This record gives sequence, C-alpha cells and structure tokens, in this order.
Amino acid sequence: MSALWTKTRAFVGSPAAVIVAGSMLVLVAATFATVLWPVYTMKHKPSSLWRPNRTLEDEGRLRYIANGCTYCHSQYVRPQDWGIGAERIAESGDYHQQQPHLLGSERTGPDLSQEGGEHSDDWHLAHFINPRFTRPRSLMPRFAFEGDRNIKALVAYMQSLGGKNADARVAAQKRFHAEAIAAYRKGPDENIEWLHSRVPRSWRAMPTESPVTDASVARGEKVYQDYCIGCHGPVGDGEGPAARYLEPRPVNFTTLRRHLIDRKYIGGILYYQIMNGITGTAMPYFKKDLESAKIWDVSNYLERNFIGHTDDKYPDVGIPASYEGKEAGPVTDQPAPEPPSRSVAP
Amino acid sequence: MLRDPLFVPKHTKGRPMPEGRFWEKEYSSARVWLAGGAVWMAIGTLAGLGSAIHLVAPDFFANIPWLEFGRIRQVHVNTVLFGFVVQMLIGCALYIMPRVLATKLFSEPLANLAALFFNAGVVLGDIGLMAGYTQGREYAEYIFPADVLLVIALVMVAVNMVMTLVRRNEQLLYVSSWYFAGAIVWTVFMYPLGNVMWHPATGAETGITDAIFLWFYGHNVFGLLVTPLAVGIAYYMFPRIAGAPLYSQALSIIGFWSLLLFYTHIGAHHLIQAPIPTWLKTVSIIDSFAMMLPVATVLVNQWYTARGRFGRFLTNPSAKLMLVGTIWYAIVCIQGPLQSLAVVQRVTHFNNWVVGHAHIAVLGFTGFIALGGMYYVLPYVTGRRVYSEKLINIQYWLILLGLLDFFIVLTIAGLIQGQDWLNGATVYRTVPQMKPYMTLRLAGGLMIITGAFVGVYNVLMTFRKGEPINP
Ligand code: HEM
Ligand code: HEM
Repeated sequence: MSALWTKTRAFVGSPAAVIVAGSMLVLVAATFATVLWPVYTMKHKPSSLWRPNRTLEDEGRLRYIANGCTYCHSQYVRPQDWGIGAERIAESGDYHQQQPHLLGSERTGPDLSQEGGEHSDDWHLAHFINPRFTRPRSLMPRFAFEGDRNIKALVAYMQSLGGKNADARVAAQKRFHAEAIAAYRKGPDENIEWLHSRVPRSWRAMPTESPVTDASVARGEKVYQDYCIGCHGPVGDGEGPAARYLEPRPVNFTTLRRHLIDRKYIGGILYYQIMNGITGTAMPYFKKDLESAKIWDVSNYLERNFIGHTDDKYPDVGIPASYEGKEAGPVTDQPAPEPPSRSVAP
Repeated sequence: MLRDPLFVPKHTKGRPMPEGRFWEKEYSSARVWLAGGAVWMAIGTLAGLGSAIHLVAPDFFANIPWLEFGRIRQVHVNTVLFGFVVQMLIGCALYIMPRVLATKLFSEPLANLAALFFNAGVVLGDIGLMAGYTQGREYAEYIFPADVLLVIALVMVAVNMVMTLVRRNEQLLYVSSWYFAGAIVWTVFMYPLGNVMWHPATGAETGITDAIFLWFYGHNVFGLLVTPLAVGIAYYMFPRIAGAPLYSQALSIIGFWSLLLFYTHIGAHHLIQAPIPTWLKTVSIIDSFAMMLPVATVLVNQWYTARGRFGRFLTNPSAKLMLVGTIWYAIVCIQGPLQSLAVVQRVTHFNNWVVGHAHIAVLGFTGFIALGGMYYVLPYVTGRRVYSEKLINIQYWLILLGLLDFFIVLTIAGLIQGQDWLNGATVYRTVPQMKPYMTLRLAGGLMIITGAFVGVYNVLMTFRKGEPINP
C-alpha cells in the first residue's frame, strides 16, 4: 500500500495528472460556454401561441414519448418548409415548460408542431388504429394496441400541438362539425345539398378545367389510390376501411349523380372540396399534397368512374392550356391538308 | 523525436497467468468486455433489422407494442452504441492501457464488476425501451436506473484507468493512455449532465434549454467517448502493425487538446434550423470546421506511421479493419463539417442523409476500430489464437459491403427527400419514393447482421477452441 501511496504522491504533480485535471478544466469551461451561458442569457418567455397543456393532452404526450413518435416526427417548422404549419416558423417560446423537448431529428413522417386542428378527431382515431386507413401509402406503425383510453389521449395531444393556433383550428373543426353532422343526419341527399351549399358560388359554376381524357383518368386513379381509397373505398361507395371510425361517414360518390346541374356534374365542386377539404369532418384538404393538375385528374376519375356524368362538354370559356385545346388534338395519321393552290390568283 | 514506449516494453513477456478466480486473472476484464461487445453487436443489429423492416413493410410487426418502430429503433441505437461499440472499445482499452504503461491493470475485479453494471444497465435500459419506458431524448433514452448503472460502471472504469496511470512503470505517457483516461473521465462528467440526471423522472430540462443540454451530450457521446477510445486504439495499433515508431508525438498532443477544445463546442450543429441562439449555431459551425485539425492530426499520424508498410495492413485481418476504420473516419469528418453548414442542412437535415452519416461514423469509424482492436487483442488476453482468420475476413467483407450499401443508399435517399421537400413536396409524397432505398438498406443490413453473428461465433469459439499460444 505504501508503494501505491508513494506513486499517488508522485502522480499528483506529474504530467499525467495535469492531463487529467487540465482536460477536465477545458471540458468544464466548454460546458459553461456552450450550455450554461446560452441557457443563462436566453429569454425564457412563452411565445404568443403557447398555452399550458391540459391533463389529457399531457397523458397523450407521454404516450407519444413512450412510443418513440419523436423519431419520425419533428416538432419545429423551418423557414424553408412548405408542409403542415408552414404558416408559422418555430420560436423558442413555443417550447416553454416542455420536458423533455421533442424537437426530433428526422422527418420520416411530417412535422407535427402545428398539427392541432389540421384533422378532425375521428380522422385521428382511424389513423391511429391503422395509418393506412386514412393515408394509404403511410409507413407509420399501427397503434391499436394502445387501447381506447390512450388513443383518446394521443388524439388530444395531437389537437393541442400548436398551442393557441391549434385551438383556433380546433374551434373551426368544431363549428363545421356541428353543421356537418346535422346535415349528415338529415339523409344522404340533404347532406350533399349542404355540402354543395358550402362551396362558393363561383366554384359551383366552374366547369372542369381539364378534359376527361383516358390519360387524365388513369393519373387520377393513381391519385385516388394514394390518397382517397382508405375512406372512400375502392368502388367509391364511402366504405373504405377507415369509414367505420368516421362520423360523418365519407361520401358515397355514386349518390352524387342525383345532384346534377344541367345534367352535368360540376367539376369545380369536386375540385374545391378536394383542395380545401371539408373542415369539421375527416375529409382533409389536399392542396399541399396535390398540384392543380392532379386535383383535376382525380376529379375526372371520380366523374368518369363513380358518378358517370361529367361537365367536360361545356363550351370553352377561356384560353385552354396548350395541350388541351381543341385545336391541339392528338396527332393523327391523316395526311396533311393540301396547301392552298397557288394557281388561284388572289 | 520522443522515444516510443511501444518498442521497449518493460512488460514481462511470457509470464504465467496468475492464479485466482476468473475475475481476478490478468486480462479477465478485457475478455468480458470484448465478449460482451461482440454479443451486443448481434443483438443491436437485430433490433436495427426490426426497424429497417418497418420502413419497408410497416405491418410486419403490426400491433406488437414492444417491436413498434419507435421503440425498437431506440433499442437498436442504444444497444449498438453502448452495448457494442463502447463496450468493445473499453475492452480493448483495458488491455492496451496497462500495456503502454508497463504495468498491470489497477484492479481486474473492479473492471469485471464494472462490466456487470454496464451490461445490467444496457439490459435494463433496453427492456425499458421496449416496454415504453424512455426519456425520449436521442442517445439519452435510457431510464434513470439504467443511467445510474451505466454511470457506476463508468466511474469504476475511470478509477481503474486513473489508478493504472498512477501505478505505471513507464514514465512516458503514450498518447493512447491520454485518450483512454480522458474519454472515461470526461464521460463520467458529461453523461449525467446530458442525461439531466438531477431530474430522475424525466431526465430532461424544460423548454428549448433541454435541446441544448441534449445535443451537448448527444454530440459528446461520440466526440468525447467513442472517438477518443477509438483513436487511442488506433494510436496503439498502427505502430504495432506497421512495426514502426509513431510518426509524431507532437502531432498526437496537438490532436488531443484540439479534439477536446473543438468537439465540446459543436453540439448546436444538430440544431442549426431550430430556434436556439444564433451565436451558438455560429460557434458550432466554426468549430465543426476546426474539427478538421484534430482529425487530420490523427489520420496523418497513423497513415504516416504506416507509410511504406501498408502491405502489412492488407494481410492481417484485424489490421485491415483498423485501416478501413481510419478511412471511414476521414470520410465522416469531411462529411461532418460540410453538413454542419446551414446551406447544406437545408437539404440534408431531417432525412436519411444523416442516418447514413451516423452509420458510417458509429459502425464505420468506431465499430471497425473496435472490431479490429478486438481481434488484435484477443490472443493476448485469452492466450489463444483467434479461432478462424477466415471468419474475420468474411465478417470484414460482410460488414464493409453492407455499410457501403448503407452509405450510398441512405445518402441518395436523403438527397431525394431533402430536394423534394425544398421544392415543396409534402413528406407524405416522399414516403413511397423511399421504398426501393429502404429495401436496399434492408439488404445491406442483413449483410451486417450476418457479419455480427459470424463475429460472435468466432469470438466464442476463440474462447473455447482457439489454438493455445505456447505459455
Ligand atoms: C469533424 C467531425 C464531425 C462533424 C463536424 C460532424 C457533424 C455532424 C452534424 C452537423 C450532424 C447533424 C446533421 C443534421 O442533423 O443535419 C451530425 C450527426 C451525427 N454525427 Fe457527426 N460529425 C462529425 C463526426 C462524427 C463522428 C466521429 C461520429 C461518431 C463517432 C459522428 C456521429 C454522428 C451521429 C451518430 C449523428 C446523428 C445524430 C442524430 O441522431 O441526429 N459524427 N454530425
Ligand atoms: C453495428 C452496426 C450499427 C450501428 C453502429 C448503427 C448505428 C445507428 C445509429 C447511431 C442510428 C441513429 C441514426 C440517427 O439518428 O441519425 C441508427 C439508426 C438506424 N439503424 Fe443502425 N446501426 C448499425 C447497424 C444497423 C443495421 C444492421 C440495420 C438494419 C438492418 C440498421 C438500421 C437502422 C435503422 C432502420 C435506423 C433508424 C433510421 C430511421 O429512423 O430512419 N442499423 N443506427
């Protein structure tokens, strides 16, 4: 032991001790500079949208943590983002009192910092049971195993994301939900009347902007399968696998043929509803997922396959896209028309 | 040029193993840590397989809570990081440290006990994660009791390292010993800090502060734990394999201090796009570039040591692993500073690009060096030749090809995601595009896993059937 003691005494003043102690000093200094100092000098105030969580929301947050949702979903919107919540770039005060932070480092799924009110509660329920019910190409695991109680908490947490901004969106969902459910209970045709009444007048008169060609319908079918089929079902009867969780249920497209105008089904109505969704119901908006042409394509698919009426033959009112105009029809094998004869003198 | 201690070892050669119970025997702890690392590599990569399957076929494990992606991914990351890489690196260090100091390890029983605590921590942590008990902070997920076990283990190793330093017979401190002692002592400080262990329930601070704590730790667990351990091993192995003295002691000293100085400032480069103070981001980016200095010192030193003798690295499988590990290190640390730039992160952040970086870093750099170190050290600590050199070679190729697959595939996938998002595509639209890449990653993963199992077999067979080296 005394040998060890001698060695310890020798060690204390030796370069080895200087290395161990000196490096610890550097580390402590760095900790001060890059952790304690920024934490000390930062403002720790809640941002304008922050509000405290409710109990159920906090419970849901714990399930979010337990299931590692944070490994696929980030929770901050960046200036260059386009998706959900791109209206509001994250601020440090948004995370006030959150413990732990859930900023996340990957986006295998979309950012959720502004998820609150983006979807209706019943959409979330179906989505947690099986994400592919509402989003057919999703990779998210199923969470049916969490059970009713936890799913409820998770939904509450989802609806809280975005704080006061979320509350405003949730309020809109609630308002339209009341209207939608009242109309839905009156019967399918009354429901459709109500839905149409909620489409702006100009859109209700807007003819399909993209001719119902085979190519367009084929593209529309792909869009339908990637986005719509889980709720509206493979035959468009509103009986997709998600439907049993939804209230009101998805529209059965075949009933739309009872709501023709001028013996045509107006493409503008479909376009508007696909673009903006039916807030208050599980029907989400698609304008961030789908460009204009794709929305026309999928409404063409609905018209041709499920409704059986289109408004494609409306007289043209504007300047068509160059590939769609009547003059720019498909190239045929017809011989080119004879050029006017020169022999005929003017 | 300083005298190189490696070639005047005072360590008595061919001395008989001392009697005693197995945990008292010389190098018994190194054996335990190495074997533990090999086994956890197999388990950890299996959890990676589970995660990778999810990303191809999300209904494969539908409704099995403990195999759910978010949980099994945490198991994967923590197991390969702590169970495999850290454990195997410490195993090598427990052999190398006394060697370069020409003494015995301060206490074999202590180091064995540390292994017990360490592995108990990983087991408890993993079971917790699968059961949904997690602190939800990347690399700091293990629950408090598991944290405690790990910290106790690290403290024991730290005491062992420092006391071995104290008891050394070699006055010149070879740089490997600096790195080993440093890595463990720093981690004893930084692990509890980053895991916010003064809040046992959540293991977290509040608000954005928590992100700053986390990524200080999240970076240092690589920069101040696995990197210095791996670098310390490389510093020992390169001169040995090359049969030449270290190129420059001075460089190694510059590398050591600059690593410590710069690495500790760059945690915020994980938060470049998050709402944290801008000056902190700036510091992190500048120091990310400054990191090229310590990295260059390490690489120049190793490769110059091996200059003209690279042939020796190609015939010996553990040397091959070592050399390739340093090449991955070079790639990682060229990629790293670039991806800390805001303009680059606009595309690469949040997607598979970073996952590619993480794999070439943790498996390519530190994992390869851990494996190379292990196969080199095994005969010395078991008194037996490695059971099969051929199997090391097979493992080497499986892991190398699998990892190359990861790097290429994940980088491409990440660029596609990043560019698409930048151009306005929603995340949902990029999901189906990932399918072919996730399938190819699965294929690469299967190779790595096969390699891991080949390794376990080889290590266990070495213990049981390896040809004894003459006593
Ligand atoms: C000069 C050296 C390095 C620099 C500058 C660097 C830089 C970076 C940056 C900027 C990121 C974040 C990327 C993002 O989120 O967009 C990152 C992630 C990462 N780095 Fe490095 N790196 C370096 C070396 C290493 C080494 C040596 C290791 C491991 C031994 C490593 C392991 C990781 C891991 C695991 C991640 C993923 C973190 C996560 O989960 O998000 N890096 N690196
Ligand atoms: C020993 C070898 C391995 C090491 C050291 C390792 C390390 C890591 C690390 C550090 C991460 C976190 C990445 C990040 O957060 O950016 C990760 C994630 C992951 N690893 Fe590994 N890994 C290994 C082998 C494997 C294998 C063999 C597979 C597949 C079969 C795999 C599949 C995955 C998956 C799927 C993720 C999650 C990525 C995501 O969330 O998108 N890994 N791994």
